[in-house]
Amino acid sequence: MKNKALLIQGIRANAQTYSLLLALGFIWILFAIATGGVYISPQNISNLFRQMTIIGFMACGMVLVIVTGGIDLSVGKLAGFVSVFVAVLQAYFNPWLVSLIYPGADATTHNIVSAIISILLGVGLGALIGVLQGSVIAYLSVPAFIVTLGGMFIFRGAILAVTQGKTIPANQPIFTDIGQGYIPNTAGLVLAVIAVILVVLFILQARKKKAQYKIEAGPLLFDILKMLVAAVGIIGYVLIVNLYQGLQIPVLLLALVAAILIYLSNSTRFGRYAYAIGGNREATRLSGIDIKKNIFKIFILMGTLCGVAGVSLASYVGYGTIAAGEGYELDVIAACILGGTSTLGGEGTVVGALIGALVMASLSTGMTMLNSPPAMVYIVKGLVFILAVLVDVSVRKSASKN
Amino acid sequence: MAPTNQNDIILKLNKLTKAFPGVLALRDVSLEVIRGHIHGLCGENGAGKSTLMKILAGVYPHGTFEGSMEFDGSELKLEAGSIRQARELGIAIVYQELTLVPQLTVGENIFLGKEPHKGFSIEWDRIYSETGALLDRYGLDIDPRAPVRTLGVGQMQMVEIAKALAEDAKVLILDEPTSALSEAEVDRLMDILRTLKSHGVTCLYISHKLEEFFRITDEITVMRDGQVVRTAPTKSVDQATLVQLMVGRAMTERFPKGDRRAGGIVLSVRGLRANDPHRREREVLKGVDFDLRRGEILGIAGLMGSGRTELVTTLFGEYGNVTAGTIELDGQAVTIRSARQAIDMGISLVPEDRKQMGLVLPQSILKNMSLPNLDRFSSLLTINVPAELQETLNYFSSLLIKANDAFTVVNTLSGGNQQKVVIAKWLMSKPRILILDDPTRGIDVGAKYEIYKLMNQLAEAGISIIMISSELEEVLGMSDRVMVMWAGKSNGTLDIKDATQETLMARATGVVQENTRS
Repeated sequence: MKNKALLIQGIRANAQTYSLLLALGFIWILFAIATGGVYISPQNISNLFRQMTIIGFMACGMVLVIVTGGIDLSVGKLAGFVSVFVAVLQAYFNPWLVSLIYPGADATTHNIVSAIISILLGVGLGALIGVLQGSVIAYLSVPAFIVTLGGMFIFRGAILAVTQGKTIPANQPIFTDIGQGYIPNTAGLVLAVIAVILVVLFILQARKKKAQYKIEAGPLLFDILKMLVAAVGIIGYVLIVNLYQGLQIPVLLLALVAAILIYLSNSTRFGRYAYAIGGNREATRLSGIDIKKNIFKIFILMGTLCGVAGVSLASYVGYGTIAAGEGYELDVIAACILGGTSTLGGEGTVVGALIGALVMASLSTGMTMLNSPPAMVYIVKGLVFILAVLVDVSVRKSASKN
Repeated sequence: MAPTNQNDIILKLNKLTKAFPGVLALRDVSLEVIRGHIHGLCGENGAGKSTLMKILAGVYPHGTFEGSMEFDGSELKLEAGSIRQARELGIAIVYQELTLVPQLTVGENIFLGKEPHKGFSIEWDRIYSETGALLDRYGLDIDPRAPVRTLGVGQMQMVEIAKALAEDAKVLILDEPTSALSEAEVDRLMDILRTLKSHGVTCLYISHKLEEFFRITDEITVMRDGQVVRTAPTKSVDQATLVQLMVGRAMTERFPKGDRRAGGIVLSVRGLRANDPHRREREVLKGVDFDLRRGEILGIAGLMGSGRTELVTTLFGEYGNVTAGTIELDGQAVTIRSARQAIDMGISLVPEDRKQMGLVLPQSILKNMSLPNLDRFSSLLTINVPAELQETLNYFSSLLIKANDAFTVVNTLSGGNQQKVVIAKWLMSKPRILILDDPTRGIDVGAKYEIYKLMNQLAEAGISIIMISSELEEVLGMSDRVMVMWAGKSNGTLDIKDATQETLMARATGVVQENTRS
């Protein structure tokens, strides 16, 4: 009986995530029927997940920005700027630099070194811009909305300045793999098994620690259930994508980034403070927490993730163009809000935002497969977004009445 | 001065009784206000003045209380859901908190919601000329086109009054209008009230500052515990009588007795002066002196607006700009610039408003309690949740917090339990000095008693406690010594043996003043 109550409590706590998963399932079934099953073919599943990665990187950071009561409108253009910057490195700068620091390298080594330089400088550029925007927002007290709106204009200009309106190739071997590559089937499976083992160890460790502090750990059954769900999910996913070309490198990267962000938001002071600031700024300040410093850090994180998104965008598209990152900020913010992030701050999860991103990607992919004109894709996305939030609001209202 | 007839009653309250669950807020309150007079209303915090105001404003409509009201010769029945009805009948209330829109001009504010218009277009010239005429009539030197935010608080108060008068108010109710004003602004307000009186406007004037009553009122009504104690012509009473009327009641055994002996001086404040950080020209602390000993409870008495909260938030490093004076901790002079510094020095503050300043309402008890203390539970990055939970559960059970578990969201708790969470949060930071700002406000008697017992235990364990309270009984029941604040100054510290409600109230209202020390 007690277990049942605990289970219900656990489900209720994550009700929004589960209902979003249900919605996602519904969308998939709908498109699967409409496309005669093609939609859920391994190839399409593989593409679908790969397509959500760039929005996914940014959504992970945007959750924390919105949780603190802020917003970042510049993410799309910033990722776009990083992508053209990286394309310029790949096309013009790196060949010269690599031959300078590593003369006589063979082609593969050359490409590896070049890709590493691009990753470091691209992510670094994102972080640097995060520092700049964050310091204006946190320490000069200019509202985030204004600073990042300004940033959006600036990066749009920067993209034009860098590209001069031309398309810059970023399709060199190795570098291309960041956004487009696959991991061989066996290696993918090994990684999946390692991930499952880590999850199991993590859950067992948590139980052990609770015992150490003499705190009831909850029924073992639930934890075993959690392990099973994780194992089936991770290994099952890899088995499916192995039927196509294997585990996608960008999805692996997103999983890593998401794991880090989930850890940061749940298990560190940084995360706790972010939620506290969004929940009640005044009470948090009076608890001796340096609000400015925390907001500053969050924008550095956001910039860094835009850097990651920009590098993978350049690699995925294979070139840098003036249209890079156009409109991505809308997808990112919508993904967060779909995933249950409160626009008033204080609430939201990384996992929710990722599912939100997947919902958005599922809609566009499905409609594209049905040959819907782009106009319709945007309109449907907008309608689904509003509808989802409307349902959420009314569910909450009726819940608070009871 | 316009002639007035002593028998011309404009507002008459007949035996008003208003009950809330567990509390009788008003008991048989009868009051007659003479047309054209300024009628003062005084009483301790919680005496029932606000409830009375809310009945007059229609916040508690006809039928939610017993008794009847007459206004201007006919029965006054304010219907539910119509807050504007009182205003339309000619009863205007100027609240303590200003209700102007800062971005709009004076004229726009005065005509807000009733802009004169022809077709779709607003007649701006008419707004400004009528506003100008209105301001002139009462001798207010304010530009009708000035945005309200550019005015001083005193001028805003005047605009608020003008707004009420623009609706042809017959009775103007002022709720502690001087609490945010400087002395010069108070003088100005007094002048304006006299002008209004000469125009035949009736005023019901609520204040904590007794000397103001003697400056402008014709009659004074004293309330206590929801009852009218006495109504008398101002000329027939003096301040000492008023004080006695305000507090005159017997102490009850509501306070657990502690067994403690105070130690040496822990905190010593001398000549502390500080300005409002948002309005630098306004001095909120005008010279505060006191000592705090180890293991004692120092009560701070004082009426609202006396600078009590400003004092403790300044000590906590989160409010005033200190302009003069010293703070010594264990004999060492310190400056405290942030809550973090205060916490590191062993000072904790349970703030006045637990919902706005004490709690992150949508979060769990666990997260609220550990918020200022996470450094203790964290390694380099990771929070050790089991350790955090263990300590939280210690306080959870020792403070008898009534909730399912430590993961319960604080929003769903009762006021008393919320307050316990805030206190636990600050006890967890292991303070040497615990400041409690009105710790029992709005919580039930049972929870109050538990908080009192806890305070005694803490003091016995050697923690020094500063307790602000709006209830004199509480101050007298719990403190070892009492410092009285008045007009931003410390107006003497009394040993509990020498403190009575009368002596404290006399100092809190400035009737008795401490000789100014240099």
